[in-house]
Amino acid sequence: MAPIERKSDSGHWHAVRGKAADMTTTGAVRASKVSLMAESKLKVLLVEDNPADGELILHELRRGGFDVEGEVVATAEAFRQRVKEGTPDLVLADYNLGQWRGMEALEILRRENLDIPLILVSGTLGDVTAVECIKQGATDYVLKNSLARLPESARRALKERKIRQGSRLAHEELAKKAEELARSNAELEQFAYVASHDLQEPLRMVANYTQLLAERYRGKLDDQADKFIHYAVDGAARMQTLIQDLMAFSRAGRQESNLKSTDCNEVVKQALRSLQVAVQESGAIVTSDDLPVVMASTGQLLQVFQNLIGNAIKFRSTEPPVIHIGKERKGIEWAFSVTDNGISIAPENREIVFAVFRRLHTHTEYSGNGIGLAICKRIVEQAGRKIWVEPQAAPGTTFKFTWPAIALETSA
Amino acid sequence: MKVTTEVLLVDDNPGDTDLIADVLERNDRPIHVHSVADGLEAMAFLHCEGKYANARPPRLIVLDLNMPRKGGQAVLAEVKSDPALLQIPIVVFSTSKARADIASSYQLGANSYVSKPGDLKGFVSAVTAIGDFWLDVTNVPWRKEQ
Repeated sequence: MAPIERKSDSGHWHAVRGKAADMTTTGAVRASKVSLMAESKLKVLLVEDNPADGELILHELRRGGFDVEGEVVATAEAFRQRVKEGTPDLVLADYNLGQWRGMEALEILRRENLDIPLILVSGTLGDVTAVECIKQGATDYVLKNSLARLPESARRALKERKIRQGSRLAHEELAKKAEELARSNAELEQFAYVASHDLQEPLRMVANYTQLLAERYRGKLDDQADKFIHYAVDGAARMQTLIQDLMAFSRAGRQESNLKSTDCNEVVKQALRSLQVAVQESGAIVTSDDLPVVMASTGQLLQVFQNLIGNAIKFRSTEPPVIHIGKERKGIEWAFSVTDNGISIAPENREIVFAVFRRLHTHTEYSGNGIGLAICKRIVEQAGRKIWVEPQAAPGTTFKFTWPAIALETSA
Repeated sequence: MKVTTEVLLVDDNPGDTDLIADVLERNDRPIHVHSVADGLEAMAFLHCEGKYANARPPRLIVLDLNMPRKGGQAVLAEVKSDPALLQIPIVVFSTSKARADIASSYQLGANSYVSKPGDLKGFVSAVTAIGDFWLDVTNVPWRKEQ
């Protein structure tokens, strides 16, 4: 009677199910589950060459409270096909099948990248083999003479898989979030870059033609006209440097892929070469510790050192600047410092100095647009590190920043 | 009567074309600068089509890249694959400093690539250099009366 009922069911699952079901048609457990959706049934794939054993195993699972649909395969080829098409919830494999072994089923699951728990069910299984099976990825092994243990083992296997799937989902979710964030950052950078680039065009016209006006008509109009033209020329020029600074800032935030082994001694030397005029004019004395080799985009690290040393020279007191570049190992990172004897930064301004276009002085006191430290901060933070003003008693200022202390053995 | 040399400026920014023409025509250089605002008009000029039926082939094309309707890259590609036109020197003169723009321009056959300097002084000296080199120093294979 039961087999006839199930004829209307589609798929391959009916083969053993009919017979096995006959054994359990009695009992309240089964009756209460008849109305459940097909998905709630536990689809079990048996790798077994002995039909009687197969039925016994299914029976044991039903007794343990599972609503089981079972299918038996005996060959590796049939197994491969069924795990892919039928997506069983659980595989129960005999260890020794004559032509092939249940262990090969594990290999097939791995190769097909299927996360389906497999429990070895076997008449005999030595201890060594059992350990080996678990190592290979079997969830458990159950001896045929103690099948009563099977439902509990199956329950555990399914629970573990659920947890695995949950954590995989969480992981995927996290990866998706990270990707979204990276994309939105990239778009923002692109926007800043394009906006500043496109702003430059009309501004170039204003700058060029006010300059041309100044060149050709200076002194030919009245004094006031000359003054107006001067304001226009000056304003356009300042706007141009602001936009260039903004572009430099947006570039500084770009993730650098060309990290290479970088000798910080060389970087500081190069920074000092670029600052040569300022060093000479101010009579600055610059000393440095022996600095390490780090992984960095050389250009970006150069910008950081050059901006910090440049600031140390620019914001000097009446004394000639005395500047020292120091290093200190702190676990997995280096802490670099640039210390000067110039004007100090008030505690309330220690954060503010890193903001874009933030200046603490008038243009007549000190020149600049307030982009240098913002660029430093961006570069250092891009490397996952920090930059800050070291709290200290006046006079002078110490900037510190950290950098990953991983260096390749060979130089790039 | 002095034979004037034709120079074709392709740029959608009249502020730039005026200044370029002003600089190229300095020192009474015997040239006539014709400005068009995009690639479509440039091709019509070079093929003597429509209102350009009487246009003479230019000795030099100064070409912007970023223009509406038809951009500089498309003009480069067309001119440099047309046997009747490919001998005309093309100087790309664009605000872009992007390596990709420079590389593709040369790949398409640009004779040189000059970035428009952002300041007036730089702009004037760049155009002066373009004029001195391409109009005075270099030779072209076609007949003088053109």
